Amino acid sequence: MSATVKQATAVSLNGISRSFGDRGIIADLDLEIGAGEFVALLGASGCGKSTLLRIVAGLDAEVTGEVVVARRRAVSFQAPRLLPWKRVWRNVVLGVPGAGRAEALAALGEVMLEHRAGAWPATLSGGEAQRAALARALVRQPDLLLLDEPFGALDALTRITAQQLVADLWAKHAPAVLLVTHDVDEALRLADRALVMAEGRIVHDVAVSLPRPRTLESSGYVGLRRELLAQLGVTE
Amino acid sequence: MTSLTRLDPVAVPLAQDPSTDISPAPAVPRPGVVATTLGAAIEVERLDHGRRRRLWVPRPLSRLLGVALALGAWQLASSTGSLSPTVVGSPRAVWNAAVHLISDGELGSALASSLHRVLLGLVFGLAAGIGLALVSGLSRIGEDIVDAPVQMLRTVPFVGLVPLLIVWLGVGETPKVVLIALAACFPIYLNLSGGIRSVDPALVEAGRTLGLSRLGIVRHVVLPSALPQLLVGLRLSLGIAWLALVFAEQISATSGLGYLMSTAQELLQTDTIVVCLVVYALLGLTVDLVVRALERLLLSWRPRAVGV
Repeated sequence: MSATVKQATAVSLNGISRSFGDRGIIADLDLEIGAGEFVALLGASGCGKSTLLRIVAGLDAEVTGEVVVARRRAVSFQAPRLLPWKRVWRNVVLGVPGAGRAEALAALGEVMLEHRAGAWPATLSGGEAQRAALARALVRQPDLLLLDEPFGALDALTRITAQQLVADLWAKHAPAVLLVTHDVDEALRLADRALVMAEGRIVHDVAVSLPRPRTLESSGYVGLRRELLAQLGVTE
Repeated sequence: MTSLTRLDPVAVPLAQDPSTDISPAPAVPRPGVVATTLGAAIEVERLDHGRRRRLWVPRPLSRLLGVALALGAWQLASSTGSLSPTVVGSPRAVWNAAVHLISDGELGSALASSLHRVLLGLVFGLAAGIGLALVSGLSRIGEDIVDAPVQMLRTVPFVGLVPLLIVWLGVGETPKVVLIALAACFPIYLNLSGGIRSVDPALVEAGRTLGLSRLGIVRHVVLPSALPQLLVGLRLSLGIAWLALVFAEQISATSGLGYLMSTAQELLQTDTIVVCLVVYALLGLTVDLVVRALERLLLSWRPRAVGV
């Protein structure tokens, strides 16, 4: 957490391990994410993917191994985790030195939520709250954006819009992204690279070189989808 | 159970090809469907949206009605002599006593010295309670050191401390203020320290990812999240402070509402006692209204449904 160097990778993990009690969650894992690269991390529940994200976010103090991550990073969790006692725009700029209402409004504008800047978080819909959390991450101008199943709690229609929004924002700001998800389609829609994690290791690493924007009709989509599902132990 | 049969997926033939099978359902009953349920006559009713007519009484008025009835019954019992004036005077007599006590300034000065005591006790009690709760809520070592003794002290009924306080501090103002402070200290301590400890860890973690310092997390996450509990504690502390005041003023006081009551007791002036009780009640009510207003002001971020 101390030395800073400049390099072209947003994340480099070297032989990291993490166990809870005597249960190993992550075992001797290596991972590199290039600057500006969009990586999706797939895996079944309990495979350690959220633990890995927390390690990269710097939220885990008990990890062993070498962890080098971008200094400017932002996290968006499955629950928006907005502070209910601060109005939306204050939530957005909380912890950003010198940022005020103008910066908050600009970030909220990018997620089309300017009109809710003065609202209490409790009055937002699920999709709005998640977009506010996204604005809160964006305003920090992160080199590394960590998304922990950010669309998991949204309804199917809102999820598609939110995914599109993330794709646009990534294209515009080009941070490296680590997206934790269990949705293969979400990974294929958004990522440059898809990783499959099982039992604390990355067992599959595949480039998603489909042209954007991606749809179900993109050639090669179905094959990749089948491949990833098979890696996750699902056959259709 | 017939409708369940209809939903049985086995019973409904699957459309082979959507392009050819767009015609309405065939008249022939499908296998598994009980034919009589489709189109059978069932009872229906037209929902009446019309307003029910009823006697309209404004809400505040209907609430006052209960009080008025009770007062009426009291007055009636006094007038007929079934309620002796030595037990309790009539509402009219109590009213007259109140007017008399107010006009000769006796009630005003008693109220002033009682309020002075309560405020002084509250300042010390709340400050101590909040201070201890911050120490015990915000640090592990603080919790270990502070919480156990406070929890032990809390189980001692504060009224039981009166003899000890008299021995230590005499019968002047100090033991009275100390008693009120002690009584007010615990509810706010318990609620605030509990509120601090029950902060949502997910929000604390979010605060860390936003780059907040430890102090920033306390200020922006922990303390605001404990605010509702703090206000609950405040309300309980204020309530118990009045209780402590009544006890404290029984200790050889020479002024205050309690003193007014004990002299009235010696002179068998039940009217005066009732006036003092009403004043206590009104004070309690006022404090409650103030705290409620405070809650509305400070907790406006909470959805109405959860509102207190």
